[in-house]
Amino acid sequence: MPLDALHLARGQFAMTAIFHILWPILTISLSAFLLVVEILWVRTSEVAWYRHARFWSKLLVLNFAVGVVSGIPMEFQFGTNWGPFSLFTGQFFGNILGFEGAMAFMLEAGFVGIMMLGWDRVPKGVHLFATAMVTLGSSISAFWIMVANSWMQTPSGVAVVDGKVVVTNYAKAIFSPDMVWGASHMWCAALETGLVVVAGLSAYYLLKRRNPEFFVRSFKLALLLLVFIAPVQIWLGDSSGVDVFKTQPAKGAAIEGHWDTNAPGTGASWSLLAWPDKAKQRNDWSIEIPGLLSVLGTHSLHGQVTGLADIPVADQPPMLPLLYYTFRAMAGIGFLFMVLAFWTAFALRKARGRLDALLAQRKLLLAWVLAIPLPYIAVECGWIVREVGRQPWVVYGLLRTEHAASAISSTAITGSMAMFAAFYAVLLSSFFYFARRWLKNGPDLTLRPLAAPPRQSIAHATVEH
Amino acid sequence: MNPVSAETLLSHTWFGLIGLFLVLYVVTDGFDLGVGILSLFRSKEADRNLMIQSIGHVWDANETWLVVLGGALFGAFPAAYAMLLSDLYVPVMVLIASLIMRGAAIEFRHAATGTRPIWDRVFGIGSLLTAVCQGVILGKVITGMLPGGLHAGFVAMTAIGVVSGYALLGATWLVKKTTGQLETAARRYATISVVTTVAAAIVISIGTLMLSPVGAERWAQAGVFHVLAALAIVAALACCYVLYSVHMGGENGPFNASIVLFVASFAGLAVSLFPDIVPGQLSIASAASNSSTLIFMLIGIGTVMPIMIGYNLYQYYLFRGKVVPVHH
Repeated sequence: MPLDALHLARGQFAMTAIFHILWPILTISLSAFLLVVEILWVRTSEVAWYRHARFWSKLLVLNFAVGVVSGIPMEFQFGTNWGPFSLFTGQFFGNILGFEGAMAFMLEAGFVGIMMLGWDRVPKGVHLFATAMVTLGSSISAFWIMVANSWMQTPSGVAVVDGKVVVTNYAKAIFSPDMVWGASHMWCAALETGLVVVAGLSAYYLLKRRNPEFFVRSFKLALLLLVFIAPVQIWLGDSSGVDVFKTQPAKGAAIEGHWDTNAPGTGASWSLLAWPDKAKQRNDWSIEIPGLLSVLGTHSLHGQVTGLADIPVADQPPMLPLLYYTFRAMAGIGFLFMVLAFWTAFALRKARGRLDALLAQRKLLLAWVLAIPLPYIAVECGWIVREVGRQPWVVYGLLRTEHAASAISSTAITGSMAMFAAFYAVLLSSFFYFARRWLKNGPDLTLRPLAAPPRQSIAHATVEH
Repeated sequence: MNPVSAETLLSHTWFGLIGLFLVLYVVTDGFDLGVGILSLFRSKEADRNLMIQSIGHVWDANETWLVVLGGALFGAFPAAYAMLLSDLYVPVMVLIASLIMRGAAIEFRHAATGTRPIWDRVFGIGSLLTAVCQGVILGKVITGMLPGGLHAGFVAMTAIGVVSGYALLGATWLVKKTTGQLETAARRYATISVVTTVAAAIVISIGTLMLSPVGAERWAQAGVFHVLAALAIVAALACCYVLYSVHMGGENGPFNASIVLFVASFAGLAVSLFPDIVPGQLSIASAASNSSTLIFMLIGIGTVMPIMIGYNLYQYYLFRGKVVPVHH
């Protein structure tokens, strides 16, 4: 197919995916956070937790709607733009997407109505169950999507028969080498997103001194969870890095700007900063630390790290500087979250539960507000590393991207891309408009849960004339 | 049982399951798309509030049947998924855009105050366009995606048919869920849309006979005609019951009979297409994944199927009865 059409098809996928992923990461984590809040409410019966649940679920509603509608193009564009890919992988990849729809997406959709609109209709145990099902559904959804994507990174458990993938071993295909690391790294990234958003928005209210007694609860709860998750995420990132060097050497070399395979008995050097140049097949410049890449990439002093020079140019990923810097941005943000979480934990300890001592830490609170966009940037960077780094393959080692696209006219793709770009702009700006209003209105501190579980007559609503 | 017939049995089971997902989607999202289409005819915001409130808790799960359908088709019949979506690129993309309009508008209108009438129109137009695109896709599939003026006319007819059918489901849903003036109006809408739906269905059937590969080959086969005739009688009785119940003041009858009408129509469609999945272009056997995939999917999706239907029904049960105005 013509190269332009291929680039357009890739551009359309990138646009759809980059836009879509913004929403589910918050759905996954905010629903999990709400689950914790609701458990606290049910266990302690403190009305403040109930009000927190009501307050944050309004943000979840807005976010959820955009996530649902932006996910539909994801599911169908494999068929519209990537027909040959769908035909080649359908017996495994399509199967897994089917599982995602039936086991996860429907679970989420089936309970979200009760979670959002059922507050005064169901007893609190039932409501808690609905929240748990939405949380479970969104996390299972992430699991199956990562199963499908990891299989594209490290395909296993299949054979190619008559130009189509046939599954020979389901356990191996589902638990492909990348799956455990990929799925857990992505899930933790999603959790970090929501926790940083909750901590950041709570810090915003604390900075403004609006209902500080109320928001110190959500701030502390988010922090408590982040102190555990931030270091775990760094460990998962490191481990998936080692896995990438083993299973996808071209991607590993590309994200580190590493050209020459180290000789046995020596360590590969790591560049802190560099400018990789694919045309010249070397780095234009670099600041290197001898021996460190072997340690980072293989966890051993002299571990061999294959350089790009030993990989045919046709099999090297494109856009090396993009890969190199998005990887650094992602990793840097991961470390920043750990520093920020520990700094805050230290400050909270020093404050010894005194609210004014925390409110006096204005720099710290401001840092959290400024951190709100960072998890989103880290997730986008991570996906760019993952997807661009896999090129020129769409299924690593099995199917090249250039053989995977449908023969759609450039005009049709350009037209639909322009239409979706306009739609996404409207969705994003409307979301910000309504989220800003939600932020300005703040929590309703007069809300009370219904004293008694609803009776049958309430469920059967009657009309007032 | 020999291996060949086991394979056939599996792929036919999946053809049936895909048909079931399609019916579940068309009936459930059909009524809330229909409510959206009818909202275009209501100028009072209070009416639209009630109409949208009546579907607020279920539209998302209803739309999800389409996602389940898409995933199941991708896994069970990759060739059909790839062919249909690539060849129908433009209507599929417009369909997706319309679903975005509808879904975003329904949630944003709750948060909006001054701009609510605008979001309501976006909701209505998104619902209408969704129905039109689905009608176009249906028409294209029945005619085996052949070009030409007559085929375009047929496709226009299926679009009108789907819009009318969804309006019928939406109107009868509103009969069930609303009271007073709105209910009276819904009864009127139901009467009109049942007539247009039947008219479109007759034209579509004649068109299928004359224009589609289905009409020439499939309908002439022994047994097929009898099954289709029986389904047509069921559909005709359902239509009469809709009219009867709407005028006798039935609350649930019109909606239930409309569902029967839809199920009969889609059963007719499945019987007509069989053993092809895209008439004249792709057979079920050649589009199907191999047996190990079909079995694995059957285990995975078959086990969650009753659970899915169970919690969906629970949701309908919980929000049963007529809707009452809530203050936003």
